[in-house]
Amino acid sequence: MNRIRKWFRYDNVGLLFVLPAFLYMILFVGYPIVRNVILSFQDVNAGNLVRGTKNFILFENYLELFKDNVFRTSLGNTLRYTVLCLVFQFLIGFALALFFNQRFALAKPVRGILLVPWMIPITVTALMFKLLFATDIGVINYLLRSLHLIDKNIEWLTTPGTAMFALICANVWIGIPFNMILISTGLTTIPKELYESASIDGANKLQAFLNITLPLLKPTIESVLVLGFIYTFKVYDLVYVMTSGGPVNSTHMLSTYSYKLSFEMFKYSKGSAVANVLLVILLVVGMFYIKITTKGEED
Amino acid sequence: MEEKRVSRNKNIILCIVSAALLCLLLFPLYWALITSLKTEQEIFQNPPTFYPHLLNLKSYAAQVETGDFNMFRSFGNSFLISAGATLIAVVLAVPASYGIAKYHFRGRKMMLLGFLVTQMLPVSVLLTPMFIMFKNMHVYNTWVSAVLADATIGIPFSVLILKNYFSSIPKDLEEAAYLDGCNRFTAFVRILIPIAKPGVMVCAIFSFLYAWGDLAYGMTFILDQEKRPITAGIFNFMGQYGTKWSYLTAFAVVTIIPVALIFIFMQKYIVSGMTNGAVKG
Repeated sequence: MNRIRKWFRYDNVGLLFVLPAFLYMILFVGYPIVRNVILSFQDVNAGNLVRGTKNFILFENYLELFKDNVFRTSLGNTLRYTVLCLVFQFLIGFALALFFNQRFALAKPVRGILLVPWMIPITVTALMFKLLFATDIGVINYLLRSLHLIDKNIEWLTTPGTAMFALICANVWIGIPFNMILISTGLTTIPKELYESASIDGANKLQAFLNITLPLLKPTIESVLVLGFIYTFKVYDLVYVMTSGGPVNSTHMLSTYSYKLSFEMFKYSKGSAVANVLLVILLVVGMFYIKITTKGEED
Repeated sequence: MEEKRVSRNKNIILCIVSAALLCLLLFPLYWALITSLKTEQEIFQNPPTFYPHLLNLKSYAAQVETGDFNMFRSFGNSFLISAGATLIAVVLAVPASYGIAKYHFRGRKMMLLGFLVTQMLPVSVLLTPMFIMFKNMHVYNTWVSAVLADATIGIPFSVLILKNYFSSIPKDLEEAAYLDGCNRFTAFVRILIPIAKPGVMVCAIFSFLYAWGDLAYGMTFILDQEKRPITAGIFNFMGQYGTKWSYLTAFAVVTIIPVALIFIFMQKYIVSGMTNGAVKG
């Protein structure tokens, strides 16, 4: 009894507060991750999913992936998609953050409204961009026609190269607010005096940007890019709704291919293997994120 | 850094430019809205009309009357699922974040790391094992499965956000409560939670938004159309009717309504959640 009372007197009480949430996450996230790893070493399909024989085939699923053309395309697509999305949403977000950092009457309200795209369910965003890129009634084809840039409608979502372009446009639209608001917040932490003394020393705006803004924003830029990478790399809904990986697998990402293998072809184990490849890449990048975020920790 | 107030002329120019940017960036939303108000005939008109020449509310009305996909029932399902997930997330995350912020027990850092890592997990990793688990738990094809799965997005986010709120509360405040006869639990409930209320709001809003936007869980774990959330309903409808854009955009508008309301009434929490959730961790 005494020992129990003693245990409670110290920081251990904190454990009791954390435990319910922690156990919930262990049960519904921790356990599934382990289960997914085991699954990827087995041969589980629709026939033996819930019970029945589950044969361990070790690395066969992974070895098979390396010979699988669709897997290679998905991996390449995911990387290309992520990098292109990051570049554009970061640059546009940065430009908008600088623009709204100027003190004019509408700066704050308009910047606020621009956050809306980030909040909208991705299924809806995918639907809206499908409409914009539609072949016959799409506004984008209409604009290009009116500008005489094309004379025949482009079949955006059913042509391999252009489908990817449409996906990137949609994703950039979602990502801009996120980049903009984080960089805006970063800008407010830079002391104004630095710019004043720089301009006294004769620095022009570009020099001030390169020598004050960029270096002091470095931590913000790092988190925006790393976090943006993680969010974009695991893209699922957007691609699944807009193209479902098509046409002819040209827009499959690791996540959509994994889903297709598991829930359309019922090759659960192979799907798990793809998901694990995705997970490993995310964890490697995630380590950078953890390094950045825990740098300023109190202990 | 905040720049000096701009001159009057420049102010006008910048306001015009920002209004133009707003129109450009929100055009997809405007286009979906007006498409939902057009007749199917007008949607296919060439050149397209940039506002509905003939106002058509049938796309909305038809859903109440008949249809194999009832948008308002799906809306209700989504609401139930999101509210359930939010409740679980808040009830579990509030004490957890307090424990992590105020006590230095063994394993604290490991747990914190665990919450950080779960935030970046892709759904693909969890879908199949959860699918098997929910089948064994006999909650597969019920709204419970989506609630349980969606809460796993809200919990880590909420813990990390609220941890910062709780650690910014000075220790004296807690100690004063102990002197007044509170124990650790009553001090937490009566003193600390009310102070951290803005943080709790941020967590509730984001947990709700994450669950509201979910497609993968709702689609994979719930099979029957009448039990599915609205996102899965939209996806289903797209597959079946392809390009019935007047209906599809009407679904889109209805799905956005709660998001719009949250934005209008709770915008400050959104900014706080987006920035604190990312930069400080």
